[in-house]
Amino acid sequence: MPVEGRNNMQCAEFDALLSDALDGLLTGDKSESFQAHARVCTVCGPLYSEADAGRRWLKSLGEIEPPANLVHNILVATGGRDTARAKSGQQVSWAAAVRGWMRPVFSPVFAVARQPRFAMSFGMAFFSLSVTLSLAGVKLTDLRHLDLRPAAIKRTYYETSGRVVKYYENIRLVYEIESRVREFKRATTPAEPASQPQNKEHKNNTSGQPEQRQERNYSQGPDQPVLAGLPNDPPVVMLTIYRRIA
Amino acid sequence: MDDAQAVGRLVRRCKAGDAAAWEQIVQQYHRRIYNICFRFARSADDAQDLTQEVFIKVYRTLSSYDVERGAFMTWVTTITRNLLVDHFRKSKQDRVTDSLDASPSENEDAMPLGQQIQDKTTPADMRSQSREAGEFVHRALQKLSPELREAVILRDLQDMDYREIATVLKVPEGTVKSRINRGRAELARLLQRTYRQVM
Ligand SMILES: [Zn+2]
Repeated sequence: MPVEGRNNMQCAEFDALLSDALDGLLTGDKSESFQAHARVCTVCGPLYSEADAGRRWLKSLGEIEPPANLVHNILVATGGRDTARAKSGQQVSWAAAVRGWMRPVFSPVFAVARQPRFAMSFGMAFFSLSVTLSLAGVKLTDLRHLDLRPAAIKRTYYETSGRVVKYYENIRLVYEIESRVREFKRATTPAEPASQPQNKEHKNNTSGQPEQRQERNYSQGPDQPVLAGLPNDPPVVMLTIYRRIA
Repeated sequence: MDDAQAVGRLVRRCKAGDAAAWEQIVQQYHRRIYNICFRFARSADDAQDLTQEVFIKVYRTLSSYDVERGAFMTWVTTITRNLLVDHFRKSKQDRVTDSLDASPSENEDAMPLGQQIQDKTTPADMRSQSREAGEFVHRALQKLSPELREAVILRDLQDMDYREIATVLKVPEGTVKSRINRGRAELARLLQRTYRQVM
């Protein structure tokens, strides 16, 4: 105990009063015995002057000016509106910025998609994408709470693609089993004639590259592997496998 | 300080889905939250991210705020502080990002504070001298333990009273005062050492 006999204040009490003393709230006897203790105590004396100095240092720190776009970003992140910016028109909203940025990239695609003969393909592509996403457990409603920070986007991307890949792997296994079953069937039945070209387009194809049939599901032949379109393949097997894996 | 009734009305409007009321709340509190985050997180980018996270949390939990039970400012500060504690813990565990760990308290221990700042010192006018002084204090603040740092930030930078700070930190008022004393004293010791090195 670093206190000397003639002072009746203890260090604990001194510590309890220190902040009040620095706030200038100590008066009368309390203040006197506080000051007396500070003069004689080798621990509390230095503590008093250091705390006082530290307080002055802290008070010298000014307020930091937040970034100009902070309010805007908060409102966007919380789905609130951004009237101030909208009124002043100082800044283009992020949605508009993304649209502007994507226009040159996607407008040729949209132009193609608007043609009647391709509209169906694009419609189907979008439909299967959304079905894939929902089967993989990605809800479109989740997108309302999108976190737009780069780190969060990266995380969301990996989580989502992880789920999609998992689903895709399951589907691929189903396809593989299907094709093995078909090979087995072929091996156990008399040889089939080589598959015939299905239309003129195929005849004109001289590239030697394999057909990209998955883009044209609406014109598929009967021998192509389609999950829901093969009367010879028992769907029970596929469902069981999928469920077990998933 | 905030006019409790006005804020109460604002929060009620907000709960009812009034977007303008929410915008007003953001306008009113973002500066304060940003400053707390900045003093805790060291970098301006982290502070901005954290401030956004705080407001997302506030927005989502606004329905749980009871106007009768305490000041909105204390409630928002509590959310901020809890988020900062989580963030600090997480970044201590991860050590992947250089967010809070980049604070001088971790990475720059090898070099004394005075030397760190000296290296950056340029022949300067008065304004940049006071900016340098601010930088000294800010860096010293990062060297305090989070426990002491949050106490002095809330008291000396945010001007909260001891009762409010006790509510935010969920410790008795006596503990708050003791932490503030130790925080201030420790900061002064750090700065004295720094100035001895620099001068
Ligand atoms: Zn003493």
